[in-house]
Amino acid sequence: MGQPGLNRRQLLAAAGGLAVAGSFGFAALGTGADALAAGARTRVRYWNLFQGGDGANQVAMVDAFRDGHPDIAVKDSTLAWGGPYYTKLAMAAAGNRAPDLGVMHQGRIPGFAPGRLLDPWDVNLLAEYGVREADFNPVLWQRGIVDGELYALPLDIHVQLNFYRKDVCEKAGLLDTAGRLPAAGSTDEWFDILEAAKGQLKKGQQTLGLHANDQNFCWWFFVAFYQQLGGTYFDDDHTTVTFDTDKATQVLEFLRKHVTDGYVTVGEADGEAFLAGSPFTWEGNWSVPYFNGEKVEYGAQPLPPVFGTPATHAESHSFVLPHQADRGGDADEGAYRLAAYMVTHATTWANGGHVPAYLPTFKDPAYLKLAPQDEYSRPAMDHQANEPHIWFAGSTGVLAQRVGPIVAASNLGSATPDAAARRMKSALAQLLAMKNPMDGRTAAQELKGAGA
Amino acid sequence: MSTLAHAGTLPPRTAVAADSARARWGRRFQHGGWFVAPFFVLYGLFVVLPVVRGLYLSFTDANISGDHTGFVGLDNYREALKDDLVWDSLWHSVQFTLYVVPVIVVAALLMALIAHHTVHFKWLWRLCFFAPFLLPSAVIGNLWWWLFQPTNGMVNHVLGLDTPWLTQKSTAMLAVVVATLWWTVGFSFLLYLAALQNIPHHLYEAAELDGANAFQRMLHITVPNLRNITGLVFALQILASLQVFDQAVVMYQFTPGPEESTRTFVQYTLEQGFTSYRVGYASAISFILFIIVAAVALGRMWLLRNREEVATR
Repeated sequence: MGQPGLNRRQLLAAAGGLAVAGSFGFAALGTGADALAAGARTRVRYWNLFQGGDGANQVAMVDAFRDGHPDIAVKDSTLAWGGPYYTKLAMAAAGNRAPDLGVMHQGRIPGFAPGRLLDPWDVNLLAEYGVREADFNPVLWQRGIVDGELYALPLDIHVQLNFYRKDVCEKAGLLDTAGRLPAAGSTDEWFDILEAAKGQLKKGQQTLGLHANDQNFCWWFFVAFYQQLGGTYFDDDHTTVTFDTDKATQVLEFLRKHVTDGYVTVGEADGEAFLAGSPFTWEGNWSVPYFNGEKVEYGAQPLPPVFGTPATHAESHSFVLPHQADRGGDADEGAYRLAAYMVTHATTWANGGHVPAYLPTFKDPAYLKLAPQDEYSRPAMDHQANEPHIWFAGSTGVLAQRVGPIVAASNLGSATPDAAARRMKSALAQLLAMKNPMDGRTAAQELKGAGA
Repeated sequence: MSTLAHAGTLPPRTAVAADSARARWGRRFQHGGWFVAPFFVLYGLFVVLPVVRGLYLSFTDANISGDHTGFVGLDNYREALKDDLVWDSLWHSVQFTLYVVPVIVVAALLMALIAHHTVHFKWLWRLCFFAPFLLPSAVIGNLWWWLFQPTNGMVNHVLGLDTPWLTQKSTAMLAVVVATLWWTVGFSFLLYLAALQNIPHHLYEAAELDGANAFQRMLHITVPNLRNITGLVFALQILASLQVFDQAVVMYQFTPGPEESTRTFVQYTLEQGFTSYRVGYASAISFILFIIVAAVALGRMWLLRNREEVATR
């Protein structure tokens, strides 16, 4: 004792001790603050993937829910959408750390292990909070059901649209008396429209934003036009590939022509080009708030029915209950109330560009006044082109990952459309033979309910 | 306290020699073991255990939730050998390595020579060459994504081109290579700079007195003295480049690039594990990469050992 070295050691020990104690203190403060925020209220953890124009709208709705439900503390987390989101959700559910409520694309439900990674909705409890099947788009409601139980409570559909700038189209003489673009009924009509609009452009501007090299968009556009031709992917038993390479070639040729005829600049940032004067862009309806924020006169219609039958690609955001071993109690009930609030306040949600799944919305005068939603909502809802209902499909799923790049290769010219169509078919055959890693069964076995 | 007491009671030298090897080891551990123990514990927990677990999973059909871990023997490996995408993505990683490694070695050496021989603003050269290395890969990916944009990107602006770098197959990998060079050359530069500073100055003085010009001094003194460090830079770059992943993934926004031309081996592993949820299969293909990387490292060791044998003969 008394030696300088020892003093220094003591000092260091004391400092270290303080640091450790301090961090515990902060940790305690953290939980204390949480407790303060939550009070004695129910805490509902809610994960979503709304980052775009619909993201701010989502946050406003959650805030409104908080105001109306002071007994529920919502802890919402917005995560990066796509593959990473589903990885996190799957791992959280598998590790029993799942949030009380989550959002998923409905197309991903069959592959997401209902019963193991997802818990079914209690339809009676939903009804208590004013959510009844009769009020929903029947197709969407049915697609959320697996083995007789509802796993996905539909919030909306989101569709791919043909956004058009009214200033350019008017100069090109393309608008009707109501100031809207008539839908093109054939590929010739569509390319005539593009040609007319192109005449109004400055050098270097593209006519149409097509996401020609994006694997997800490529696949979505393919789905839309392939369905316009009445194309199918698999038979009802999920044992045979029914993919029609002739029809697929027709679609791929149509998409490719946009690039070869110079209407599309591959790799151009589509939304920004549209705002900068490019007359058309094919984008998701989530771009509506983004475009509304700028002073641009524009309209939005479903993708043109160039092959006769109207159909535009659609996916649905749905609420799910990620699996919890001890699901139930106040937090679970809070999750039901939050989900019920979101799906029934669909007019507010529709501000974000999405088409509500909750049918009474279509009678709401406030909703009917929304533009350009009034132009596309009804036809889009009536002519949905969905990915096949199978475990490897759904937004940003394995199917898009496998066949999207093939469509892009055709768009960019490194594969001929007919070779690309054949490659798509063989990729579909491989996927159909594959086992769902979640349950060890092929799509056909899943359909029959056969054991692993 | 204890070490001091121990030092005071050290046995005489003769007794130490008679000590059994085991006792010596025990004493050594007493002295140094506790200092390295944390490393071994962490290394075991976060490297050895996961590797062993990964090896086990590669023989199962485990999915991401840990379910369905049926033993499938060598099925995953058999499937991987027949999987075109395994070979494609492996080729992309090798392609990247072939592009990057020689350029990095030459560029790093040139940069080190500049920074070493410059008289003014030495610190500025060093800072400029090394600074990019400190940036995270996500920043690099996004930064170069913007720089390579066709109409408003700086690369085309400076070169006076309108090349769609990121969207055509012929330039897509090149874009990743350029971004990587800019980002990582600083590390090799630093190794070279340190090696340059270690070459005894009197060698240059003697050569100068003998009338050697700058080129001869470089050829006969600098380059031979840098041989070991060049070998090291080569080896480290090959091992790192074969595992290329993050910058490509960020630049191509989690897609496999135009016509799937930038999907690297690690990216394919990630796709299998985290998009397709096939953790067993992903483990198997990651072990294939492990074997390749280990073979490269062992091959280098074997080559060097041969060289040493030749030198001592």
